[in-house]
Amino acid sequence: MGKQARDRSRDLRKAQTAIAEQRGKRRPLVVGGITVIVVLLVAIVVAVVNAVGDRDPATSSGALVAPKSATAAGALVLGQAAAPVRLEVYLDYMCPFCGRFEQANSGELDKLMADGTVRLELYPLSFLDRMSEGSRYSTRAANAVATVADRAPEKAAAFNEALFDNQPQEGTEGLSNARIAELAQQAGVPQDVVDVLDDHIFEPWIAKSTEAVFDTGISSTPTVKINGEVFKGDLYTVGALTQAVIAAKGQQ
Amino acid sequence: MSVILAGFRQARHSNVWIFGTMLFSACLSLLASFVLSIDAVRLAADPDTALSCNINSVISCGAVATSWQAGLFGFPNAFLGLVAEPVVITIAVASLGGVRFPRWFMFAAQVVYTLGVIFAYWLFYQSIAHIGALCPWCLLVTVSTTLVFTTLTHVNIRDGNLPVPARLRSTLKSAIEADLDAIAVTIWLLLLALLVVTKYGSQLFG
Repeated sequence: MGKQARDRSRDLRKAQTAIAEQRGKRRPLVVGGITVIVVLLVAIVVAVVNAVGDRDPATSSGALVAPKSATAAGALVLGQAAAPVRLEVYLDYMCPFCGRFEQANSGELDKLMADGTVRLELYPLSFLDRMSEGSRYSTRAANAVATVADRAPEKAAAFNEALFDNQPQEGTEGLSNARIAELAQQAGVPQDVVDVLDDHIFEPWIAKSTEAVFDTGISSTPTVKINGEVFKGDLYTVGALTQAVIAAKGQQ
Repeated sequence: MSVILAGFRQARHSNVWIFGTMLFSACLSLLASFVLSIDAVRLAADPDTALSCNINSVISCGAVATSWQAGLFGFPNAFLGLVAEPVVITIAVASLGGVRFPRWFMFAAQVVYTLGVIFAYWLFYQSIAHIGALCPWCLLVTVSTTLVFTTLTHVNIRDGNLPVPARLRSTLKSAIEADLDAIAVTIWLLLLALLVVTKYGSQLFG
């Protein structure tokens, strides 16, 4: 073996030892890393199991009960049943634009209901549950309104407005059940009704009517229909809807 | 068993594996960007949609989709994915076909993609912390850009394309030989999964 070849093979051995040494130094890191991976996997499994366990029996398997004043299509009826103009409002309590719609029109709608012009049909939907960090605010709020419409129907309009006046920002957990109860109290809902607001009574009904509504082709909130026709005018300025309602009344 | 493991550890550093992973991830990212772009365009085209909460919208109501975070540069963020990912796909395909790009080229790709990853994570943070909605397509962008970034970094360290001091270079190289990069990415992605599951678990499985 020539000197050059010997040198080369010595260099090679040296390099291999260096790599082996570095590998040895890295070993604790590798072992530590794999331990962390195992711990994380366990944590994820635990979190998933917890999430599945959190499933509220009242919401997933509760009996389907419809509020007394509800229509077959899934609406809560407010105002006089015999009023000439039927106004349907599709909303979600988490939907910011529904809040703007209410701000612009709730005063007018109150007047139109009071003088017997309008029969208001509210469709409280729950599709924005995905927007409340898992707290299902849309369902909770809709269930509370359905409960009030069922047990204290004359207070439902005021409670509906109160929820929009205090509307949480999209993407937050929404109002707590306690805060919802407080708003109901302030809107004049009797205490025995306030006490059952978080009993999930109408949650299965909300889920079913949300599905039914979307099956009819409604794809966004707020959607407003006057005597069955979608209102295409300005929903966010005071007066536009009122004029359309009065025009519809005149046609009859 | 250990033979298979050793074989896999060898294959992990091969061009086929690295650029194959890069190609796959870039395609996923492109798909997600495409879906998000369509959503943004639909929202812009229809003022009624922009002023309402749509059941088909993948992100949220108009209020958030039209937020400043959603169009930081004056156009929908997803457009950036439509522009950038085809470049990554081209690099991956060419490399799979045997093309060797010059060092400066790969280094430039690394710099630009690093900016892209930073942006993707800023958006991820915004959506978790401020927007609050679970957006599966946005999550797909986060995960796939992470994978593209790690494969690109892997190949650039392996081939010595990064202009770093010799000592750091050899440290990085030996770290990759010890598979520390794969372990770090796995931990990182599992952390993201844990975060999503703890925050949205009741929504996902409840």
